[in-house]
Amino acid sequence: MKRRALLISTALVAVASLSFSGSAFAENPVLKIGFVGVTSGPAAAWGTSNQRSMETRAAWINETGGVDIGGTVYNVEIVAFDDQKDPKRAIAGMEKMAQEGIHYVVGPNVDDGAAAVRPVAEQNGIIYFPYAFPKSLYQAPASNAVLGMVANYQSGPAIYKYLIEKNGIKKVAFVAANESDPLSQRDGGVAAAKELGLEVVSDSITYQVDTTDFTPVLLPAIKAQPDLLVLSGVSPANAPQLIRSARELGYEGLISTETAQDAGVLQEGAGELANGFISVGGASTPELASDQMREFVDRYTKMFGEYNDESNTKVYALEYILETLKANPAAITDVEAFKTTMDTFEAPNPYMTGDAKLTYVGTSSFGQKRQLSVPLVVNEYKDGGFMTLFVAQVD
Amino acid sequence: MKNTTKIAGVGIFLLIVFVMVPWAIAASGRWDFYYTLTSVALLSIASAGVWLTFYIGRINIGQGAYTLAGGYVSAVLVTQAGVNFWLTLPLAGLFCAALSVLIGLPILRLRGVYFAMITLVLTEVARLTALALPITQGAKGITSIPLPRELSLFGMTLIPDFARLENPKLAFYLMAVILMIASYAALYRIVNSRLGHLCRSLQQNEELASSIGVNISYLRVLAYAISSFYGGIAGASFVAISQSIYPSSFQVADSVNFMLNCFLGGLGFVFGPMLGTLVLYFGWDLLFTTGRYQLLIYSSLLIALMMLLPNGLLSLNQLRGKGMRK
Amino acid sequence: MEQILANGLYLGAQYALIALGLTLIFSLMNVLNFAHGQMYVLGGFVTYTVVSQLGMPFIVGLLASAVTLAVVGGLIERYLFRTVIRRSHREESTMLLAAGIAFFLDAVILLAFGEKQRGVPKIINGVFNWDFRLIMPYDRILIGALAIALIAAFILFMQYSTAGRAMRALAQDRVAAQLMGVDVNRYSTLGFALGAMLAGLVGGLLVTITGINLGMGGPTSIKAFMMIMIGGAGVISGAIAGGFILGMMESVGLTVLAAYGDITYLAIFVLLMVFLAFRPQGLMGKPWG
Repeated sequence: MKRRALLISTALVAVASLSFSGSAFAENPVLKIGFVGVTSGPAAAWGTSNQRSMETRAAWINETGGVDIGGTVYNVEIVAFDDQKDPKRAIAGMEKMAQEGIHYVVGPNVDDGAAAVRPVAEQNGIIYFPYAFPKSLYQAPASNAVLGMVANYQSGPAIYKYLIEKNGIKKVAFVAANESDPLSQRDGGVAAAKELGLEVVSDSITYQVDTTDFTPVLLPAIKAQPDLLVLSGVSPANAPQLIRSARELGYEGLISTETAQDAGVLQEGAGELANGFISVGGASTPELASDQMREFVDRYTKMFGEYNDESNTKVYALEYILETLKANPAAITDVEAFKTTMDTFEAPNPYMTGDAKLTYVGTSSFGQKRQLSVPLVVNEYKDGGFMTLFVAQVD
Repeated sequence: MKNTTKIAGVGIFLLIVFVMVPWAIAASGRWDFYYTLTSVALLSIASAGVWLTFYIGRINIGQGAYTLAGGYVSAVLVTQAGVNFWLTLPLAGLFCAALSVLIGLPILRLRGVYFAMITLVLTEVARLTALALPITQGAKGITSIPLPRELSLFGMTLIPDFARLENPKLAFYLMAVILMIASYAALYRIVNSRLGHLCRSLQQNEELASSIGVNISYLRVLAYAISSFYGGIAGASFVAISQSIYPSSFQVADSVNFMLNCFLGGLGFVFGPMLGTLVLYFGWDLLFTTGRYQLLIYSSLLIALMMLLPNGLLSLNQLRGKGMRK
Repeated sequence: MEQILANGLYLGAQYALIALGLTLIFSLMNVLNFAHGQMYVLGGFVTYTVVSQLGMPFIVGLLASAVTLAVVGGLIERYLFRTVIRRSHREESTMLLAAGIAFFLDAVILLAFGEKQRGVPKIINGVFNWDFRLIMPYDRILIGALAIALIAAFILFMQYSTAGRAMRALAQDRVAAQLMGVDVNRYSTLGFALGAMLAGLVGGLLVTITGINLGMGGPTSIKAFMMIMIGGAGVISGAIAGGFILGMMESVGLTVLAAYGDITYLAIFVLLMVFLAFRPQGLMGKPWG
């Protein structure tokens, strides 16, 4: 019996010691930036691409000597917390960030988590950058959340308008997973399509995220004979299967989504059937990508073995945080200063060729500048890669 | 003799949760532990409910359904009817208890794995219902729920307005701990009452219990209703903290965790689920520094614990006792 | 109508194969294997690695999945479940162990294969199209046929081989089987290995059609639970029936209820609960499993 007790106490000691271990950076003072998001389970791909983008960029900055903010050179450390897509855990994660003295956090990745962390973030003076679309997160009185990407109610209308003009589409069908985020995005998309005068032939079809065969799901949608099939809020895991099932059922119209996708995943899952699939991407199309973007992709690939196209968008949040801090060093500890700076902030966009700018936008959607201006790039999948269809700006 | 040790134990426990913990947190500056411990307290209330269904010999993997329902009851009442949160707390519990009677009457006839699996499905049913109903606002969830208001009786303030408190974290912690203590005290009373003896007879052999005149279907539903009441209260409290609720706020994973908490603490001990919740939830939190290996280490430890102490953590005590008697 | 039936059959075949493994493990050891879905995912990733990364033929990948999972399953039974079952007072305690193993496999899969959705290129191209009344891609037909063949092989194995008979005897009455000289430990390990292997095989088969990602484990387990509930836990014919019934229900339900969208699965689940309330042991189960 003694041996067993000994084993257990050793285990407990090991666990306890973990809680007090920290990481040590040598020369420069450390600037900690947080990440709270999902890096395990079904949606792991979303958070993982976030976290890895941040870690790649941080390692790169540290390797080249750190980041100079107000005369002090900092090394950047990313503190990541896996919330397992559970809003209760997300709150714990945000508390952890507050405990670590962090004021800038990227994430969470989903609606419920983003809403749940709001009280903690506001009480502790944390600005967070969710990848969730509900407008209430960004409209006053909420003021600490900054949307990290282009929302579906911004990209959707742009895509539909383009397709109306270019392809003359008239009828559109929506399919969504029966979860909060995709359903909200579907409702937004339906409203936008109706506003543009499109006929919505099907908007009630949903599927479980764990569906292994999408043929029965899509059958009624295909029968309605839409010109455009919108996969609202589709996860990278489901997209190839949906595309494949639709095509195999003989559907010949267009397919689009308002979320970012990964070309490799589409290639493996749907092959050439995915050709022509329209999705929203970041800034790494060959025409747009600057040298810095290319180097980022290289470093990411070297560090983690494989790039994820979703990171084209997700590279931006950390860059915005650091650049804004550079513009106003007082914001390192004072998020109110950060908020003031957001209204006027402008810096060159290092990831795009030409004279693109990093600015905060969102006035037209939220009534205040609570969104990162990332280029709205609409892609078309073709033989294992993305081709740029068009580029637009939010606001 | 036995009674004095018990009283001493309770005294020490109260001292720890009300004095030692706040002192340790203030001394170490680990303010984030307040939320962690609040979560543990609330989750252990829900787990206590699951434990009670174990006590009548049913494996309940559906507590998430009731925590979600309780959360929605509170959220809807607070936001749409302007009811004070403190009033919605018991209402959420009662709603869940009533709901569980309706659901329990047919499904409590099931036993063993059948009951376990049907309750697992129940959680998913609750999520899909929340998505489909208009009153829950479906996928959009209910957000921006105000913090608990003041509760006063005859002009006397019983509970202050949380929004005006300097340290709502501490307030939530105290609320959760008090609720937890009340729940476990009630559970302890139930288990050691006539009702508890009858429940035990159910766990051992329902036919036999029935043949000696125990009204088993009434007893089953009663235990299940109490269990669901606990779930509803825990869910409602969580909503007050996160100030928002979504259909995915409590999911199958939560239901499974509630059950695991009971197993880990030990099914034979009233306070098992409390310890189980503490270890499982806190364990995950502590492993936060291990980064990508977090889940690997967590699950390995879980398996190791199960190998060493398959009857729960609290059975360690028992083993030692046995060893001494030898 | 033809289309709906064909979809249901295809879905049913793959579901039944998943449920078979789960029910086999349950019948032998009274263990509700929470990690079944994760085993399925692991099988999918093994086939993916062999076929897509190493460039071997599909059949090799399938065999690799079967062997890997059989070994993993055997080891899990031998070193984990057996110990816990021996030591614990209540056999439900194995649920915690099973859940722990599920978490563990999730972690291993995440570290070894990454978080992305993976897929194997189509093994046959082309679509069978009967006048737009029935559309079925050839690879789907092949996988469906393979799944049905595997089910048949499994039934034959259980019916006529010595090991199969021993396992059936074990499932019926553990003590009696032991008294009759059946090596309980050996056949428990074998049964668990076989159940895990079936999960791995389905994973390998489906990776060519639906692909695989690490999140599919948990939901797959839950679906498998539902199937064996419909059919009756621990009964082989029940698992097959449950698989096909759930497949049909999804296929029909999704078509009929498409207009009401969001409630299709709600309706399926509620129907299931009502059914079980009236027939607690499922279609063919022994009462109280």
